[in-house]
Order: sequence, then C-alpha cells, then structure tokens
Amino acid sequence: MQPKTADHKSDQTPDKAPGNIIDIQAVSYTYPDGFQGIKDITLSVCKKEFILLAGKNGSGKTTLLRHLNGLVLPDSGQILVNGKKINDHLIATRKTVGMVFQDADAQIVGDTVFDEVAFGLENLKFERALIIKKVTQVLEELNLYDLKDRNPRALSGGEKRKLAIAGVLVMDPDIIVFDEPFSNLDYPGAIGVLSTIVKLNRTGHTIIIATHDIETVISHASRIIIMADGKIQQDGDPKILMPMLESYGIREPCSSKLGFGIQPWH
Amino acid sequence: MALIPFAFRPGKSALHLLDARLKFFLICLVSTSMLSASFVPCLIYSLLLILFFNLARIKVFQLLISMKFFLLLLGFIFLARCFSTPGDTLISAYGISISRLGVTTGFLVAFKFLLVMMTGLLFSGTTRPAQVKGAVQWFLRPIPFLPEKRVAVMISLSLAFMPIILKQNQKVADAQAARCGNLEKNPVKKIIRMVLPLLKKIFLCADNIILAMESRCYTEDRTDPEFQPSGKEPSFLLGSLILAFVFIVL
Repeated sequence: MQPKTADHKSDQTPDKAPGNIIDIQAVSYTYPDGFQGIKDITLSVCKKEFILLAGKNGSGKTTLLRHLNGLVLPDSGQILVNGKKINDHLIATRKTVGMVFQDADAQIVGDTVFDEVAFGLENLKFERALIIKKVTQVLEELNLYDLKDRNPRALSGGEKRKLAIAGVLVMDPDIIVFDEPFSNLDYPGAIGVLSTIVKLNRTGHTIIIATHDIETVISHASRIIIMADGKIQQDGDPKILMPMLESYGIREPCSSKLGFGIQPWH
Repeated sequence: MALIPFAFRPGKSALHLLDARLKFFLICLVSTSMLSASFVPCLIYSLLLILFFNLARIKVFQLLISMKFFLLLLGFIFLARCFSTPGDTLISAYGISISRLGVTTGFLVAFKFLLVMMTGLLFSGTTRPAQVKGAVQWFLRPIPFLPEKRVAVMISLSLAFMPIILKQNQKVADAQAARCGNLEKNPVKKIIRMVLPLLKKIFLCADNIILAMESRCYTEDRTDPEFQPSGKEPSFLLGSLILAFVFIVL
C-alpha cells in the first residue's frame, strides 16, 4: 500500500511495518554520470538487528548506506526511517541514523578530539553545558577521554575510527551504519572497533555494516544481505547463506571453509 | 605526522586559559605597535616571547625548524634591504654595494617580521581553533551586512583543511618520488605533475568532508563557543599596553 503522494512534513507512518525501524521500498538511484548505483531495492530493518551488508567493490553497498542517512536521495521509491519519509525529515533522519564513513580522516572536522565529538551537538544547537556533559560521557564510554585535547588527525587508525563512532554516538542515534569499519586497521585496532560495535548492539542500537571482508564480524551478525550489481541478491541467516558467498565475490571465512562453521574472529 | 607550526597545542598555561577575544585584540595591538619600534624594545619583546613559549610548553627551536621556508623568505627580505637602501657603503664589489644602513634596517625589518609571525604562532598554539572562530565571530558581529558566522566557519574550515592539504601534498610527492619523478629538472613540468593530482585529491577530500558534515546535520546556525575569562585578563591587557607604549615611544 504505497502512498501515492508525499505528505510533506507530516508525521504519518505511510507503510511502516510494526517493529521495523527502516523500510526501503523499491529504491533506485543513478549517479549523474549514468552509473546505476542501486536498482529496485526493497528491504526492512528491525530494531536491534545486527546486519551485514556484503558484496564486492562497486556492488552498491556504500550508495545504499548513504541513502539511509539522507546523504543521497532516491530517484525512485521511498525510504522510511521510524515511519517518516527521509526526504521530508532529513534532520530527524540524520539524528536517528548515524553514519561512520570508510575513511575516518575524511570524517574529522574538529581540531581537537573534544571539538570533533561536539560537532553534531553544536549543529543541533544544544546548550553548551549539555554539550560538555554528553561529550564527556561518550568519550569516557569509548575510553577516549584522556585524548580529549589531542589533534584527532594525530591519533592511531583504531582511535580515529572510535572517534568517528563517538562523533555519531553523541547524537543518540538508534541506528549506526558503518562503511567498511575495519579497513586499514591493524589487529588491535580492528579488535577495539569490533568490541565497540558489539557493545553498541548490546545496548540497543541497530547496526548495519557494509563490508567486502566479512570474516571479522560475521559471528556477531544476525542477518546478512548480499549485494551485487546494485541489487540485493540474497538476504537471510548468515549460517545458511555462508556456502554461496564466494559465488558473489565475497571471501568465505576460514573457519567455515575448514568445516568449523562460523567462529568468533578473535 | 609533520609538525604544523600553527597547530593548537593543548595545555593549561596562563596563555591557554586567557580569553581568546582578548588574545586576539592583544596580538593586533602588539603587532601594529611593533611597526614603529626600534631594535632594543624588539629584543626585549623577543625575550618575553621565548618566556611565554616556554610557559606554554611550545619548543621554539622546533617551531623555527618547521618554518624554515619562512626564514628563507626573511633572508630574502634582509638581502633586498641590504642592496636597495642607500647610505654609507659597507662592502662594494662588481659595482654592487651594501650600505651600513641597509644591513641594520634589513635586519630590523626581518626581525620584526619574525616577531610578528612568532606572536601569531603563540596565539594559534595556545588557542583552541573553536575559540579562534568564536573570537572572529564576536569581533565581526557589530559590522552590518557581514555574515559573521559564515566568515568564522570559513576561517575555521581553512585552518582545519590546511593539515589535510599538507598531508595530501606529501602523499603525491612520495608517490612521484617512488617512480623517480623527482629526477625531472623542468620546474614547470614538475609543478604541473604535482598540482594536478594534488588538486584532484583536495577536491575529493573536500567532497568527503562536506558529506561527513552533512551527515551530522551541519548548519551555519550552531551553538556558539563559550568564553570563560581566567581573571588574568586585566594584567595581560595592562602589560600589553605598556609594551605597545614602549614600542611607539622608544
């Protein structure tokens, strides 16, 4: 039952299934150069899910993630976040869906760790006292408080990624989407980021991770969505879909190849 | 990461805690009054500067090394003054003469430039960029028809973007050197080879930063920075007024 016309600024829930926090309905997007990023995507995300969006490079993962935060708006179809069309509720969408980019350096806009985390709250015109309180709380939560006066560009890769998470976490999002969160990280850095993500899921956040290397995080995922050529090819339980991963250009985890099923990465 | 001379260095010195608006006013006052100063007050001020750099735990020697290109520029200014100022001849060879007055004024001008630069670095090194932005915004607010918030954001973004440009520049230079690009002798070709990929990278970076800012609800109408006077402002103001008086009178 698609609404025929967009009801601007209304808080109606056009087509929201109960329990769904995101509803994507027949969404397609073509880049200005003619490349079709995603084609006719339909999917729903429930609260507190831990979703792995897997696919080889150029499969449309990042394009889909950017739609969830309203950075890219669909050419056709619609996306509902908490039942609201994102086109009409961009600020609310960006508060609800926090996005951690692939290149943590590109996400840094503050000149100290503290300022970087405070950026989102300053945009939302929070009172200074509340900003200080919330930023301090998040920095302590992610063990970054001792670095609060440091230049964020001088941090290690893992610390930068955690800082990027802190920057969105401080805005109290319900959903956090990660674009290749483990790329360019060493082993301790990846473990640090992974444990932060798992903790966020346990505290009630919905997690969506786009990656082409699923080994690090597959054991924590409740659902895997496989993309290829801008379309969803498979969507289901990671254990069931495991054997067909390599046919979509995604490396099957070693433990699964050796017949031990899905094992924790560390 | 390479030392960026104008980067903020966290600390709890008196200068770090001083109200950014007053610091902004004081560097303008001291720098402009220094224009008419003679050598001795400049020398006294340079000692004061070294003291403040020490108090702020900023290493002056490291700072000077990181601004070697600026020192080179000061060298050119000194030489230009030496050759172009008329007066009693100190050295003369091949029809070119250097005057005694040229050497003294050249040295004084270069010295003053250095002091102004170091004053600015002391300010940027002890003031959080958000406070610099806030101070600029505060001073521009009374000027009608000037979008002070936009100007302040542009200044803070420029400051934030500078290290990214330097980093990208280093990456491009390294990538070219790895393929013997540094053997190219033609300076024009060298510049073209450097600038085109660098610009491409910088625009890409700018695009990514815009996306990152948008994803966190960026708007010009943001929470303003808060200024918290430390209580030492009157002493610093008085000291700077005395210094400015000494610069002008002596």
